[in-house]
Amino acid sequence: MNLNFKQILRFQIAIQTMKDYWKSTIILTLLFCGMAVMYAGMFPSFKDMMVEMGQSSAFDSFAFIPGYEDMATYVGFLNIEMYQIFWTLILGIVIGFIAASIIAKEIESKTIDVLMSNPVSRTQIIIEKFIGLIPMLLIINFTTMFVIMGVTIGIGEELNFFNLFLTHLISVPYFLSIISIGILISTLIYEKMRASIVTMAIVVSMFIFDSIAELSSDFEFLGNLSLKHYFKPYKALKFGEIDGFGTSVLILVCCIMLFVSIWYFNHKDITV
Amino acid sequence: MKPEIILKTVKCPQCNNIIEIKGSPGKKSILTCSKCGVKGSFTFPKSDDKQSKKTHMSDYNVIEVKNLTKKYKDVVAVNNISFNVKKGEIFGFLGPNGAGKTTTIRTLLGFLKPNNGEAYIFGKNIKENIVEIRKNVGYIPGELALYEHLTGRQFLQFFSNIRNTDLSLLNDLFEIFELPLDRKIKGYSKGMKQKIGIVQAFMDDPEMVIMDEPTSGLDPLLQQKFYEFLKKEKQKGRTMFFSSHILSEVDRICDRVAIIRNGKIVALENIETLKKKTGKKIRLRIKEDTTDIISLPQASLIDGWIEISVQNNIDEWIKRMGKYTILDLEIQEFNLEDYFMRYYASEGGA
Repeated sequence: MNLNFKQILRFQIAIQTMKDYWKSTIILTLLFCGMAVMYAGMFPSFKDMMVEMGQSSAFDSFAFIPGYEDMATYVGFLNIEMYQIFWTLILGIVIGFIAASIIAKEIESKTIDVLMSNPVSRTQIIIEKFIGLIPMLLIINFTTMFVIMGVTIGIGEELNFFNLFLTHLISVPYFLSIISIGILISTLIYEKMRASIVTMAIVVSMFIFDSIAELSSDFEFLGNLSLKHYFKPYKALKFGEIDGFGTSVLILVCCIMLFVSIWYFNHKDITV
Repeated sequence: MKPEIILKTVKCPQCNNIIEIKGSPGKKSILTCSKCGVKGSFTFPKSDDKQSKKTHMSDYNVIEVKNLTKKYKDVVAVNNISFNVKKGEIFGFLGPNGAGKTTTIRTLLGFLKPNNGEAYIFGKNIKENIVEIRKNVGYIPGELALYEHLTGRQFLQFFSNIRNTDLSLLNDLFEIFELPLDRKIKGYSKGMKQKIGIVQAFMDDPEMVIMDEPTSGLDPLLQQKFYEFLKKEKQKGRTMFFSSHILSEVDRICDRVAIIRNGKIVALENIETLKKKTGKKIRLRIKEDTTDIISLPQASLIDGWIEISVQNNIDEWIKRMGKYTILDLEIQEFNLEDYFMRYYASEGGA
């Protein structure tokens, strides 16, 4: 596989990838922080309504989301509004969209020729591009976490900050596995936009699969196919529990996807 | 991974007899001079030893291509080609568009996987050692695509970081190819992009540079500068692989030339031989009847113009035409099509 650790450890392609995405990182961080302020901040004004809704079993329409019964509490509200939909789905789509373009755009714009004329292996390109996307994920992830902490203190609600940290921590393997799927699609489809749309469709489908599985036990098998099934923000946020099995599955998926991407990319003709 | 074999020439300290030896890097071998019988030992330099590259013998093949075939689905783009490029030469790779030049180059650089055959660069198999090989190869792609969101400086910095070597040629290059380094590449003209492509390929003084139609996009003045630069680089001993579809260009700067057509190498010639085969084309229209002239083997009638291929005897032909009333006259260099028409007409259309 032409793996040269000396070269990879210099991280030049990874650093360039980070630099290329620093603007996107800032914009996305601001966007997600803004959303966090909005969702967490609006809880006090919704609180009474939520309690009423809870009594009238109106929450049942959210039954496809784990932890829906708890929506009238701050933790439950954050779980539904912020983590289950906005975080898992929307950030998942955005991260997948970006990851799917990472190889495809080099090939589509033909810059891969000048890149690969240097002493870099194909394996190195995949690994470094993957590494290069991690800082973006971490910055968005943990900045949002701090913003939620700030808002929580501001509105005087109760929240276990350690559990909040765990929630953000276990979202890292979840998003990494989405990045790895994006990268695999990026090596399979050499058109940036098509690769991104396919990856988006995969993330959305997995969300739908998991929702169906939550609604009906007949379709539980569908949930197993979804990455979201292995990422349980409600458990972490409410009880401080980490699903060790789920997290291991996410890490394993990430490794397998990267391995397949590397294998495929190494065997493919780079036709521009 | 196959062990790398280095070919070295050593001089006997006693009688100055030159002996050729082969061995793998780091290996110590005991030698006996065939002339005077003196014994000695020689340790082959490690492959990353820059010095070893400079001391390779001059007829050492930098590129060796053996029966290379590359197909795209059912289309054979490169068909069983073989050639060698010697150290220190400018090797021309001449062919019309679509002949397989770019496919050959991209296969040599490891972007495409050959269907058959093999190739070695610096004695290393491209299948196994391509990353190692690329450390000492510069490349100017045919369809040069750059990171347009970077400035020229950032672009060069990125590749210098990847290559992790001294940019010993950078200042010389900037003197010849001036560039607005702090402007984004997006705003560069085609010529500027080509210039930064050239700088990028040569900046860390690689042992060989592969160029895929490097002069396209350069204005005539810059082309001239570029040719002069290549000649200077050749004097320094750099090997250069130069692909082109322009006969006169190859004829002017290369030492040897391979001519590729429909995926096959149809000729591999010294430039002197090629020069003998090329010539000028006289095109003229005359008032009188053309029958006499076009009956000559060198002449033909195309769209009312008489075309005559001439080699060294241009004076003779001009004098011969003196008896006609000339309505119009043009003298052109042979282009690749003329060359094919003349020498390879039997092998299908140009």
